Amino acid sequence: MSAVDLSRSEAGTWRASARAWWRTGDALPFLLLAPSVVLILAVIAYPMLTGFWYGFTDGSLLKYGRFVGLDNYVELITSRDFRHALWFSLVFAVFNVVGCYALGLGLALLLNQDVPGRAFFRVALLLPWIVPSIVSIVSWRWMMADERALFNQVIGLFGGSPVYFLSDQTWAVVMVIAIKIWRSFPFMMLSLLAALQSIDRSLYEAASLDGASRWNQFRFVTMPQLRNISIVLALLMTIWTVNDFDTPWLLTQGGPANATENLVLLAYRYTFGRNDVGLGSATSFVTLIILMILVVILLRRQKER
Amino acid sequence: MAYPDPSPAQRWTRFGVLSVVVLVVNLPIILMVMNSFQTTDQLMQRSSLLPQDLTTANYSYLSERTNFWRYLWNSVVASTGSTITSAAAAALAGYALSRFRGRFVTTYSRTLFIVQMFPIILALIPLFILFRTLGLINSPLSVIILYTVVHLPFATWMARSFFDTIPRELEEAALVDGCSRFGAFIRIVLPLSGPGLAAIAIFSFLFSYNEFFVANVFLRDENAMTLPVGITMFMQQYSTDWGSLMAAATLTVVPTFILFLGIQKYITYGAVSGGVKG
Repeated sequence: MSAVDLSRSEAGTWRASARAWWRTGDALPFLLLAPSVVLILAVIAYPMLTGFWYGFTDGSLLKYGRFVGLDNYVELITSRDFRHALWFSLVFAVFNVVGCYALGLGLALLLNQDVPGRAFFRVALLLPWIVPSIVSIVSWRWMMADERALFNQVIGLFGGSPVYFLSDQTWAVVMVIAIKIWRSFPFMMLSLLAALQSIDRSLYEAASLDGASRWNQFRFVTMPQLRNISIVLALLMTIWTVNDFDTPWLLTQGGPANATENLVLLAYRYTFGRNDVGLGSATSFVTLIILMILVVILLRRQKER
Repeated sequence: MAYPDPSPAQRWTRFGVLSVVVLVVNLPIILMVMNSFQTTDQLMQRSSLLPQDLTTANYSYLSERTNFWRYLWNSVVASTGSTITSAAAAALAGYALSRFRGRFVTTYSRTLFIVQMFPIILALIPLFILFRTLGLINSPLSVIILYTVVHLPFATWMARSFFDTIPRELEEAALVDGCSRFGAFIRIVLPLSGPGLAAIAIFSFLFSYNEFFVANVFLRDENAMTLPVGITMFMQQYSTDWGSLMAAATLTVVPTFILFLGIQKYITYGAVSGGVKG
């Protein structure tokens, strides 16, 4: 069943060979993939090419712009907002990946043990992941809304003074990251649990025969076995975090004073706030290039395995 | 299980730890549900964490005085539409990935990775301009098309791993009996993958139902908004009305929970095997 054996069309007329192609079933994979390919061309390939072009023009959402060369990219590189968004994207990704990996691994290890009600716990811990972003963030906002909100009452119990979580620049960053970790750890937990369950049990039996303590079993059996999947998961999560719009937007709209504005929010603000399609497209294109580098690393990793 | 034969004490300690973790982790969701039965005045007094004098006032306000049902209807339309298109496209493509090899299939498989990682904001800008000229802004079609593609990698990987579990011998037998290859797919493989396709469809529905970013860009008119976007209108218009906001959020999450419970055992198929094993 060769899917790409088109070379036979050299012999005979085009129509005859097309008919043969159809009859033998060699055409089938192309036909099966055709609807998806058309959709991807329309929604990914077309915008990618036009977006690339828009990055070199000065258009708005209402009218096409003129070619302005590298102006948009020059403006980006020299703009403080862009450098800050780049920096925040990095901080956001690094802290979220580390945080949700640690939390996910800890819970996966716990769930991998013999514990009553394991199936229930596994499902209950997935909820932060499946709840719509707007729903959970509404509730989070309530918990830190003002000086009498839940978090501040708890702080008050310990004698601390109220914290303005959403209007203080540092705290806003901390809360955006914390909520992103909360929304991301279930995926990590689920994937790591699946990986833990596929580790060969005889490795542990051999290790305990050799007198390895449980800590050493974790260090020298579990972690090496999880190494590859951990790298892949970390890269995936990095990509998703760089792409995240919902968490910072719904919590702070990028504020206060753009403190929680990542590249996606910046591109959104340029395009839909300032009506500057050129600058917005250039920002999104930079985001694409950063993500492409990560994807290439990811695909290499997966090939190695 | 890595470590056999734990003592009962150990097992119940783990149970206790996990119970506390579940409670803490789900606190925002639990509080939201409890708060939805309190009036905004009661909420602002914050006399205690546990609700007193439960009231359904928020819910009747939501039902009678706001656009809530309109938003819900729009959500159902957009989600149903994209579920149908995405399940159909994913079933066909998943079958190709499961049964065929070749350069075209491999390239397609790689492309799915790129789709999954694509910064959607880059697609939204040109598509907004295109959809505006086509009159698709505020139309459910705009989000249906976007959701289908954004969800395609997950759905296709999931479909593929279901088809992988169906033995090829069944199709070969059908071919011997004079069935075409496509006929074998339609008559033999598809009926056998019923539960799998249902799971894919529900995942697609959940994804579209929960989605905020794309809907926020394309659905700007209040009568066109889906629930996640509609709720943000509440936050602006009725910014101090936490009671209604909590009630709206709670009602929104009910379908999500019901659908999720139906498919949670399939979740590893797409999320883990697709995203991680490739």
